[in-house]
Amino acid sequence: MQQSSREMQGMASSLNGIPSSAGVAAAAAQIALQELHNGHRQQQIQNPSMQVPAAHFDHSTAGSEAGSHDDFFDQMLSSLPSSWPDLGNPKVPWDLTSSSNPNGLAGKSPEESATAAAEGLQYAPYDESLLLASRLRQHQISGGSSPAGKQMLLQLNHPHQQQQQQQMLLQGMGRSPVATSGGDSGLLPMPLSLGSAGSADSRLLVDRSRDELDPSFRSNPTGGEGLYNGFGGSLQGGAQAAPQQHFHHPQGPSMPAQNFGGAPSAGVGQAGAAGGGTAPPRQRVRARRGQATDPHSIAERLRRERIAERMKALQELVPNANKTDKASMLDEIIDYVKFLQLQVKVLSMSRLGGAAAVAPVVSDMPSEGQSGRSGINGAAGNDSLTVTEHQVAKLMEEDMGSAMQYLQGKGLCLMPISLASAISSATCHPRPVAGNGGGIHHLNPGCLIPAPPPSNHNNPAVGSGAGGGGDGPSSPSMSVLTVQSAMANGGDTDVSRTSVKDAASVSKP
Amino acid sequence: MNRKNSNKSRNPNKPTLAFYFLRALACINKKTSMASYNQRSGTIKRAAYASMALAAGPKRAWSRAVLCRVLWWGSSRLHGFPTRRRPRAFFHRRVRVADPKLREPSKADVLRRLVPGAKAMDLSRLLEETAHYIQYLRAQVLLMQNVVGSVSD
Repeated sequence: MQQSSREMQGMASSLNGIPSSAGVAAAAAQIALQELHNGHRQQQIQNPSMQVPAAHFDHSTAGSEAGSHDDFFDQMLSSLPSSWPDLGNPKVPWDLTSSSNPNGLAGKSPEESATAAAEGLQYAPYDESLLLASRLRQHQISGGSSPAGKQMLLQLNHPHQQQQQQQMLLQGMGRSPVATSGGDSGLLPMPLSLGSAGSADSRLLVDRSRDELDPSFRSNPTGGEGLYNGFGGSLQGGAQAAPQQHFHHPQGPSMPAQNFGGAPSAGVGQAGAAGGGTAPPRQRVRARRGQATDPHSIAERLRRERIAERMKALQELVPNANKTDKASMLDEIIDYVKFLQLQVKVLSMSRLGGAAAVAPVVSDMPSEGQSGRSGINGAAGNDSLTVTEHQVAKLMEEDMGSAMQYLQGKGLCLMPISLASAISSATCHPRPVAGNGGGIHHLNPGCLIPAPPPSNHNNPAVGSGAGGGGDGPSSPSMSVLTVQSAMANGGDTDVSRTSVKDAASVSKP
Repeated sequence: MNRKNSNKSRNPNKPTLAFYFLRALACINKKTSMASYNQRSGTIKRAAYASMALAAGPKRAWSRAVLCRVLWWGSSRLHGFPTRRRPRAFFHRRVRVADPKLREPSKADVLRRLVPGAKAMDLSRLLEETAHYIQYLRAQVLLMQNVVGSVSD
């Protein structure tokens, strides 16, 4: 792992002669990535290999010999800023890296797993923490407040804001063992993991809180657990006086600590009545109308809101996204991702720069109405294509956005050859099959082929279609299958071309 | 700030993407020793994904995962199945799915399989990564199509 990473970084030296634009891009990327790197990995990842500067000139030319196919890749990686996480391990399968750890690949440290294990804790963006804090201040969390406060505070553990948030988390969690005698045993492991992850921060917290909190706290051990317990005890006394200030002042870490102490203390105070409440007067917060004050449900509600918001964002991205149902929306998303990946695959096959015979993409975009272009790449068999096909091919190739518009319900779709011929006579087929999966069936491997339009222009040939949106899962697989089988043939171009020519296009709904 | 973050990360840097990809393409084209058509197309595909991941930056889980995967593809293709470092060992270290309460196991899991690097994410994070991934995929596809178009002219 180290060797290959060093290799790659050694390649960076060879990139010093890159053109200016590349240099700018690389430099900009480096800067940005450095920032991100620092922001993300301030605590955890020690990647000495990553910090190795480009002065590691192991192989200046080795990369070019690393393999005939891979030298482009070495070239790429040499421009990779050193702040990228440890990519040095080429054998690491991608699901290793999919630990969803925003702190990077190598962050397999136990605390990260633990933090990752805490559900969604590290993914809460900062302003959600603000929202949460404001909510906490407004609501009075009644009943089981400490687990609630703890959970909500836990949600604040965004990696960017780990310092501040960990403080609050610690405070909130420290509160819980105290406020409710039984406590929630399940909650303790999480603060423990967080505490261990942020041991440095906890020390900081200790130092800061000592100023504000009871001196009794000082006697507590600085271990994570003891920290929490000590916080709990001391915060009870200290937080009551915390003014209800606004939450997000990172420059005043003590203040957020206090604020947060104030808010959960308010929450705890409610439970204090139930749990043998400790004395200090708590601010009562009325729950929002129509919403449960149960902390679990609040957390759950936040989560749901977050998911809904992301789904909405995805809806804008994915064409033909008029589904309101979450399940069907997910289906659309899945299909679209598959389709895009398939397109990359297909396009990479066609991207042979004239080395192989490549028939142009044929798709009819009646909405495009662009003037004809008749450029066709490849040598074989292009003469037989009509001008319209060429037009459409150009459109498809040059303006994918318009191609994507098909997916937005223009009712055109790519069809497998078999289906296309079956439907050829149909003039109106409401939901043609083989939608999004990109039923791009190939004649020769170079083509992105929908069925070419017949002489009748009213039945446009197929773009990339979401017409089969309703067909969902079945169509992509089918179309993909067709693609694969067709691709495997590798091109009996003339024969398949004629068959495609016979295939009709899909009509618009 | 949520909006700002999402917008900032949302727009793929097309010049960067183009730069990486075109450079790789030029490099590949120089290599006339590509034995087979399939090999070359596979390499181009890898170049496409690699440029996509590079343009996306290391901030996203999928871009890191894609880059690793591309590396792995390349190495396994070149050297046979790598024995020096057994990938299976790393498979076992997969972190479990963070959110066991997911109620869409079928669909979300399919999505997890599709989006690289999203194996162990809860739904909200998964959706976020998917959105980002889709954006970059679209940009990459557009780029490739433009290249094809310009080549064919």
